[in-house]
Amino acid sequence: MTSRVVSLSVVLLTVAGTAPAQSIPIHTVPLVPADQFDIFPSDALAMGEVSIAVPDTLHDPLVNPAKGARLRVARLFSSPTIYGVSHDAGSGRTLPMGAFTAGAAWYGGLALAVQQVDASQPSSSFFNPPLPFTGGLGSTTPDLGPGPLSHGNTLGFAMIGRKLRESGLSVGAGAIKKKLRAVDGVDLLYPGSRRVDQSGATVAARLGVLKEWAGDRSFEAVVLHDRFKMTHDVTFVDAFWDPGTQQFFQRSRLEHNRDFTKQWGLQVKYERPLTASGWRIGWLATANRTSQPNTPSSDLLNIPQDPGRAAAYELGVGVSRILGPSAFGIDVVYQPIWSTTWAVAETPTATSRGDSIPVGGRTVDNGFHFSNGLFRMGVSREVALGPLTKTAALQLGLVVRAVHYALAQQDHIEVVTRRLVESWVEWTPTWGLSLRFPDLELRYRGRVTHGTDRLVATPDQIIAFADQRPLGFFPPPGASPTLDGVHVVTHQFSVSLPLR
Amino acid sequence: MMTRIVGTACLGLLALATGCDGWKTPSGPPASLDAELRQSLGRSGVVPIGPTPLQAPALVDLGQALLFDKILSGNRDIACATCHNPVSHAADGLALSIGTGGTGLGSSRTLGPGRQFIPRNAPTLVNAGLGAFYLFWDGRVSGLGFGAFQTPAGAALPPGLPSLLAAQAMFPVMSREEMRGVPGDRDRFGNPNELAALGDSDFVSVWQAVMRRLLAIPEYVSKFTAAFPGTSTSALGFQHAATAIAAFETQALTRTDSPFDRYLQHDDAALTVEQKRGALLFFGDKARCSSCHGGPLLGGQTFANAGVPQLGPGTGRGAPLDFGRGELFNQDFYKFAFRATPLRNVELTAPYMHDGAFPTLEAVLHHYNDVPRALREYDASQSQLPPALQQMYHGDDATIAAVLTNLDFRLSQPLHLTDGEIGELVAFLKSLTDPSAQDLTSLIPASVPSGLPVQE
Repeated sequence: MTSRVVSLSVVLLTVAGTAPAQSIPIHTVPLVPADQFDIFPSDALAMGEVSIAVPDTLHDPLVNPAKGARLRVARLFSSPTIYGVSHDAGSGRTLPMGAFTAGAAWYGGLALAVQQVDASQPSSSFFNPPLPFTGGLGSTTPDLGPGPLSHGNTLGFAMIGRKLRESGLSVGAGAIKKKLRAVDGVDLLYPGSRRVDQSGATVAARLGVLKEWAGDRSFEAVVLHDRFKMTHDVTFVDAFWDPGTQQFFQRSRLEHNRDFTKQWGLQVKYERPLTASGWRIGWLATANRTSQPNTPSSDLLNIPQDPGRAAAYELGVGVSRILGPSAFGIDVVYQPIWSTTWAVAETPTATSRGDSIPVGGRTVDNGFHFSNGLFRMGVSREVALGPLTKTAALQLGLVVRAVHYALAQQDHIEVVTRRLVESWVEWTPTWGLSLRFPDLELRYRGRVTHGTDRLVATPDQIIAFADQRPLGFFPPPGASPTLDGVHVVTHQFSVSLPLR
Repeated sequence: MMTRIVGTACLGLLALATGCDGWKTPSGPPASLDAELRQSLGRSGVVPIGPTPLQAPALVDLGQALLFDKILSGNRDIACATCHNPVSHAADGLALSIGTGGTGLGSSRTLGPGRQFIPRNAPTLVNAGLGAFYLFWDGRVSGLGFGAFQTPAGAALPPGLPSLLAAQAMFPVMSREEMRGVPGDRDRFGNPNELAALGDSDFVSVWQAVMRRLLAIPEYVSKFTAAFPGTSTSALGFQHAATAIAAFETQALTRTDSPFDRYLQHDDAALTVEQKRGALLFFGDKARCSSCHGGPLLGGQTFANAGVPQLGPGTGRGAPLDFGRGELFNQDFYKFAFRATPLRNVELTAPYMHDGAFPTLEAVLHHYNDVPRALREYDASQSQLPPALQQMYHGDDATIAAVLTNLDFRLSQPLHLTDGEIGELVAFLKSLTDPSAQDLTSLIPASVPSGLPVQE
């Protein structure tokens, strides 16, 4: 288990947490984002999520609406998905249902999903300590019961596209709207809070084109725009000293935080057969421009980060080979990212140099430079089950994400520059099994992500209760948040019914 | 061929997965003063101060009159407010206080003929009502928050005292040096001092005698009646007077709106960078101040032998030394230990320590930086002490050795604070000042029911 004091901001955590394809995630700590929104069915996700040179008929229309042109038949689908974070540090369940239609020229799709996300309460009771200093609590403390253990989200997806047969061109547009009351892990950003009430919505819009040539070559481009807007109403219960009773009491404090992110992006991809022996190669380039007018304010986040912006790029190459019943694919992606965040003074702030930063002036500038790498690899093997129309397929894969960044922090209050280099690796084995029948496709896929952490609180000292108070000693309520290693397991069962 | 590729790939994936754990490279974080400081505050049990109980106006009015009225003293020449004067931030600005027989106020107060310094410094009454568990430098009045008090009066302490501060207010009138006088004294009018004639352990008689004085004044009768409407005059005791004095102290002298208090209320901008650095030292492992000055009051709950130079006439069996809490029954462990005072508004209450040995906060911190050395090198002539007191410095080797023998273990080694760090600590200590405590003179009444002069 890796444990260390949390000291860094979670820059763009929420973007990462809701990242659909083409959004390049940015983490400054290996906080587990869970798989809350990885809910739609896929052929290739169990193969280590290889995607550059491996077609995924089920999933591709969700990524690039223009690729709905490859749908041959209409189909209904559902993909119940559950995920869980080890140490009881979070879990969720999602039930998506949807349909794709495929006409001669037009095609489209609709999907709805309901989701239940459990609070990410760690097993340690110190995260929300059991309210020490119990003397007299009842008379002055309002009812501050913990929030509900689960919250519901709803998601809607719509996609429409048109094939222009003469030119081999397809265009499509799609959007996902999520009405959110829970983003996994957000409650952990507020250690010591009594409850965190989230509300907000996110919209992810995609406009895509697909150009296909003879010889199985294709070029695609997607323009994306994501808006993420959440509010966090955080209730803390603060201890205070009551001079009259010589005891600690508690009172509530409500913090209203906003988390607002906008993102624009462009992704282009080119694929072609490499040889006649089943090899394919693809190239990928992505650019994201993200701005965060607001991010959550939390005592946990040592680096002030409100607001910020990031420019993220992605260059990737992938190869695959399909040979009879076997398939194999590899993606290698490099992600250079430049991110800046800063904090502004809310009141005139004296510096250690003796001058003053006016209201609105920057107190801290953080410059991050990431050099992230992504390696995806997967294999698949089909086995005929009796007649050729019935097959079973086993899939295995691995995703390795290496994060490396350098931070230069200019603290204009203390008039110092600090530098930090941080790196870690996350790896995710994937596996899957699918059964195909003429009128039914059943899939199971699973994945487990290692190398990520989740926040837990470590008590600094023993919490004593009022009636056990030793003379001359005050029980401290403090607890230091630390990162502890966890793994995230996701299971998805999907059923797809071709409508012939 | 394909089988080989797949097999090699699987082996590669396995090797990669098993080797990944060591890739994570924890590294030192960039510091954030606020995050670090708030964690330190949590570890030290520092929480905001809540509101003090609202006091009845009639009770506060009576308490104000009593605090400023010299009629409580045997010789009618000294009031509580003489040594706890609003002009001097509810203290007297003297290293060692000057009790009955003295003349003047504040730092210009002088000893009366044949009188001696009071053995200890007069602590400020500002924030005395915040609910400390111990009062007086040796903590001889204590209460653990459950309505029971330990005092020198033992069972003679009358019931019904609402707070430890009220219990404490029962005792200055008992002290011969402070207020009561010595046998044979005559008061300011030449009349015999009837309080001084009573025995030192006859608490009840002294308190009754003081009440006879008060209730002989019609204005006091009406004030007591207004403050205690359900209590007949015959049932009034000095505990009622003490209750009123404590009510006034609590209502008028609670000052907890310092920048640090605002910081505790989540206003990060309330402290300057220098003050935050000082706070990190204060609550951190280097200066370790909060090991004694922790908790919501920043002190007031523990005792320590801080190796303070011994000054003054001393008290009890240790005289001319002052054993502090070690003077109390069965408290030998605390020889030379004194209460770690609550530190809010400490900037305003020089000189410092139980005997006022240090004139400035800087001097205090230099002392703490290397206590054994500082004690040995203490120069009373350089400490802004009055000449009479300089002569009462006990700097002989035996005394210093005795003090250092019992030195608090946390102070036995130098702290190695730099001058810059000491400056930051001073800056932090100044952030504990409530601006409204700077000038308390509005609390001085124009007159008191006895007609005795208020500010002389």
